[in-house]
Formats: sequence, structure tokens, C-alpha cells
Amino acid sequence: MAFPDSDIISTVEFNHTGELLATGDKGGRVVIFQREQESKNQPHRRGEYNVYSTFQSHEPEFDYLKSLEIEEKINKIRWLPQQNAAYFLLSTNDKTVKLWKVSERDKRPEGYNLKDEDGRLRDPSMITMLRVPVLRPMDLMVEATPRRVFANAHTYHINSISVNSDYETYMSADDLRINLWNFEITNQSFNIVDIKPANMEELTEVITAAEFHPHHCNTFVYSSSKGTIRLCDMRASALCDRHSKFFEEPEDPSNRSFFSEIISSISDVKFSHSGRYIMTRDYLTVKVWDLNMENRPIETYQVHDYLRSKLCSLYENDCIFDKFECVWNGSDSVIMTGSYNNFFRMFDRNTKRDVTLEASRENSKPRAILKPRKVCVGGKRRKDEISVDSLDFSKKILHTAWHPSENIIAVAATNNLYIFQDKVN
Amino acid sequence: MEVQKEAQRIMTLSVWKMYNSRLQRGGLRLHRSLQLSLVMRSAREVYLSAKLEEDEEGRLGPQPCLGEEGAGQPPLQPAAAASPGPPAPEERAAPADRGNAPGAVDPEPMETQDSSGDAPPAAPAPGAGRRPARGVSLPPPAKASRKRRSSSLDKPGAAEAGLVPTKKARLEAEEEEGERQPQGQDGPFPSLAKVLQTRFSGMLRGGPPKGPEPTPGCRPGDGVLSILVRAVVAF
Repeated sequence: MAFPDSDIISTVEFNHTGELLATGDKGGRVVIFQREQESKNQPHRRGEYNVYSTFQSHEPEFDYLKSLEIEEKINKIRWLPQQNAAYFLLSTNDKTVKLWKVSERDKRPEGYNLKDEDGRLRDPSMITMLRVPVLRPMDLMVEATPRRVFANAHTYHINSISVNSDYETYMSADDLRINLWNFEITNQSFNIVDIKPANMEELTEVITAAEFHPHHCNTFVYSSSKGTIRLCDMRASALCDRHSKFFEEPEDPSNRSFFSEIISSISDVKFSHSGRYIMTRDYLTVKVWDLNMENRPIETYQVHDYLRSKLCSLYENDCIFDKFECVWNGSDSVIMTGSYNNFFRMFDRNTKRDVTLEASRENSKPRAILKPRKVCVGGKRRKDEISVDSLDFSKKILHTAWHPSENIIAVAATNNLYIFQDKVN
Repeated sequence: MEVQKEAQRIMTLSVWKMYNSRLQRGGLRLHRSLQLSLVMRSAREVYLSAKLEEDEEGRLGPQPCLGEEGAGQPPLQPAAAASPGPPAPEERAAPADRGNAPGAVDPEPMETQDSSGDAPPAAPAPGAGRRPARGVSLPPPAKASRKRRSSSLDKPGAAEAGLVPTKKARLEAEEEEGERQPQGQDGPFPSLAKVLQTRFSGMLRGGPPKGPEPTPGCRPGDGVLSILVRAVVAF
């Protein structure tokens, strides 16, 4: 089925209560879904998500100085915690971060007597009294307005944004630099990390993801293309080029290949909700690190190790460069990440059990239970298994999100969004 | 041999990908360019070491210094036997690139950046007329060890010795070759753009290499891969 490239979903994010779910796509649009209020009349409709607002966040731009087109694709969306009736989110493309206010309007002032019915101003000499307009109910309208535009601060492509727990600042990270912003100030940002070498020929690694600690507003981490994570403390110095902690696992020499270096590049880093752990995703694995242990992760999960022998083909078709994200569930007991063939994987950290599920129309009748899938890695293929060579590498799940407190997940499969919930008995 | 072919195929594929990444919307991506250059570097190292083994088997008598593959940094001494002359524009003793120890002895254009003297002369078209037939015995290496000392780059006269790349030389040589560079640089990667355009236009028109058999069209890539690896990240 053909669909325009602009419909490809590029980011998915629940807000802090889970009431709203935002998606960004390659065409620069943001679509926000809102969970229905649960009603006693229809108990089986356990709060489904419906479209709440759609707006164009970013447009394609052209950098005339560098003769470069700037894509409108939304790389990341991050919500701010709700502080009043309106919702606020940050959305970013490669170069510009925007703060959007999403608010409802369900009343409208009516009764002005200064204009005619067709809107023309009446002659003031004809007006003998001033009538105060009255607010009358109207159909609910959700409007999104750009409140701040944070532009011109990044030479390279922005890969991450993260809201600080102080709710006053946030950071944006590109390949070589991380900037700290105040929400109120758009014409200035502080550069807090700069790994650009004096001689670009000596460049060996880039920043791939960054995130603030969920509770400590002075702490953040950033991951690199070399498979390392640095934890930085902004109290230590203004420029956090020197890390407080450095997380790296020694490479397994038996796994060396042409592509060892690039598959060790970390594509996503996420703090646990508790703030005690970080999770990283590289091409083949998900790792959980304890902040107190820098020399190796405490847990490593194989996402699709059967691809290790296919790296050359995956290099040819560019799949080896895919950047998968990873997410924690609300209690940090389960982690989830995507794979190919519209498969996504969940790992239970306590029971050490894992499951592979598929996001597809055929398997996703409403309220149907997802059947676990299995990839056959050799030998006899069982009836329900799929062989590695039959996997569809054009169907990749790069972006997933987990509701902050319930077992509801959102899975983006190219241009489709799937929302799965726990079954209610 | 298989390893060598595979490595060569990967190198050519990488070059093709680098070229194509320029055409993407949003411009060249630094991370992608870095990854491509890393793969190319690994493939080149494998290619060179496989090639050396093969050459050693075919050669009469052992050449001890040929075994130093990536072991250290080769000193930059002119080799008497190989073609002398001014450093070709693409031969840059860039401090960043260290893995070319065995290459300078080999007159194959691959290893062009390491020294002033023993590199082959500049050629306008990649691989044109410079490639010796395989199996021809190589001239005995003039240098006993090829360790390059980075401190030598800071010494005065380093530029004259061809140890340090000079932009002037490159521009002059390219003008000599009569090539016209397009007006306006391509985003933040002007040197990469130049290299790709001037060196690979012929090869790239043919599209990406397919299959395990490297076609002769792959070969011209050898000559300037060393520069390309650095050009990718130099902008």
C-alpha cells in the first residue's frame, strides 16, 4: 500500500499523566491523541485514544548560506508537565526547537455591538450604548500556538531534547554540542558540552542522544557513537566537557567485523523513572546500566542477535544505520524496543522473560490478544515461526512509548500508530 | 583473496554511499559520514593486510618491513626506488590517519599520503596508467622502518618535506589538471564534495557495486580512499 513519505511517524511520546499521546512525522506535523474518559456505560472501552489536535509544527526551510535544505521532519517531542489548563510540548527538527501551547476553547464571547452582523465596524455616532459581550458555549476547539521558537543554535543536526526537572530549562543536543535553554529566552542558550575537535580530521565520535536525570536537575547523560555514555554534573563547571562518570563496556574481540564500530553506536539513552539506572540501545542489544557501576552494564538483552551474521547485507540496504529507541515501563520492571518486520520486543527484568510481538493490521483486530512471534534462526522452522530471510526490513519499529503508569503502549510502524493495552478480564 | 575482494567491495560501496549521502535532503549527516568512513577504514585495513599476505607469497625473499602493517607510524623518508618528485595533491601526510604503514612501499595508489617521495605522481583520473601489474616485484623499500613521528610535523621545513598538507599545493595541482570546481560549496563538506566530484564521477555514474565480484570500475577507488576517509570528516 503506497503512502507518502511525509506520513512516516518519526517520534511518539506520552505526556506525564498519559492522558495525551503525541506523534510527530516526517512531514513536520504533530498529531495529539487524547484518552477518552472511562465511562460506566461502556466499560469495555477502556479509555481509547482519539485524535485531539493536529498541527503543522515545522516547515521545510532552506539555509541559503550553506545551500542546505533543512528537513521538516520532527525528530523529537517532549512534553512539559502540566501546570495549568493548557498543555505544552517541545518539538524539534534538525535545527529548530519550538514550544507549543495546546489549549481548549469551548466558550466564545458574543454580543459585541460595535460591528455589524457582517463584521463591518459600525459608525460610532450611531452607537448609543456599550454592550458587554457574554461568553457562550461553543463546540470544543483545540488550538495549538507556537509560543517560543529556539532557532540558530545548532550547526549540526539535533538528535535529542530533554526537559529538566526544574521545569525552567531544557537541553538540545546535536552531533557535537549540547545547549541549555531557558524556556523564556529564545535568543540565547548556554553551550554545556562541546566535543568538536579543533581539527575536524581528528573527529572520532559524535553525540547520539542526551537526557536529563528525572530528579536531579544538575545531572544529565549523553551517549556517543562509540558506545559510551557520559554522565555530567552541571555544578562541576559551566562547560561539561569533562564527565563525572564514564560508562563503557569492553568490546568482545570475538565479535569483531567490518561493522563492529558502527553497531556499537548508541541510538538511544533513557533514564529509568527511579533515576537509578540508564538504558541504552545499540544496533543489536539493549543494555541496562547502574549509575554506580561504570565498567559494564548490569543487564544486556539481545534484541535480534540473528542479524549479527547479516551485517553486510544490512550495510548494503542501509538498515545498519537505523536508530532504534527504547523505553521503560512505569515501574522500570519491563523494557521495550523495536525491531524489523514490525516486531517489537519486551524484556521483563525481574523474570528475565522476553516476548516478541508484531504490530500489523492482520494481527491487530480490536481487542484481540497479540500472539507472541518467534524468529527461526536455523534448522527446522516450526509452523508459526518466521525465518530470518523472510523478515521484511522495510517494516521497522524505531519509535515506541509506554504510558507512565499503566500498561498501555504506543508503537509506530512506519506510517501507522498502534496502541495496545492490557486485557481487562 | 575472497577477503580481499569482499573488503574492496565494501570500500567501493562505502564511497558510493558517501556520495549519495550528499544528495539527501537535509544535507550530509555527520554521524552517517563518520560511520561510513569507519567502515571504509576497517575494510581498507583488511584489504591491505590481505593484499600484503598475497604479495608476500608471490615475492622472492622476505621483506621484513612489509610486515609492519599498522604497527607504527612510518617515518617520512623519500624512497629512492619509487618515483620521486613533489607530493601529489592527494598525498597528504595527515596526522589523523595512521593506519597506512605498509602502503607507502606499495606503489599502488592506495597508499599515497604517507611520504613525499615514494608515492606515485598525481593522476587526473583515478587509476589511470599508474597501476603496476600484480606480481611485478616491487622495488626494495628504501626505508628501514616506516614509523612516522608526529613530532616531525612540527619541525620547520616539514611542509617542504611534504610532511604537512598544504592547501596551496592541492589547488595548484587541481588547476593543473584543468578541472573546474563548481561554484559554491556544498554545505559544510566542501573538501569532501571536491574529492568526490573530481575523483569518482566516472565510477559513480555506474551505480553501486553489486555482487561479490568487483568490477574493474571498483579499482579506481583504491587510489584516493585514504584521502576520502579523512575528507569525510574534515569540514
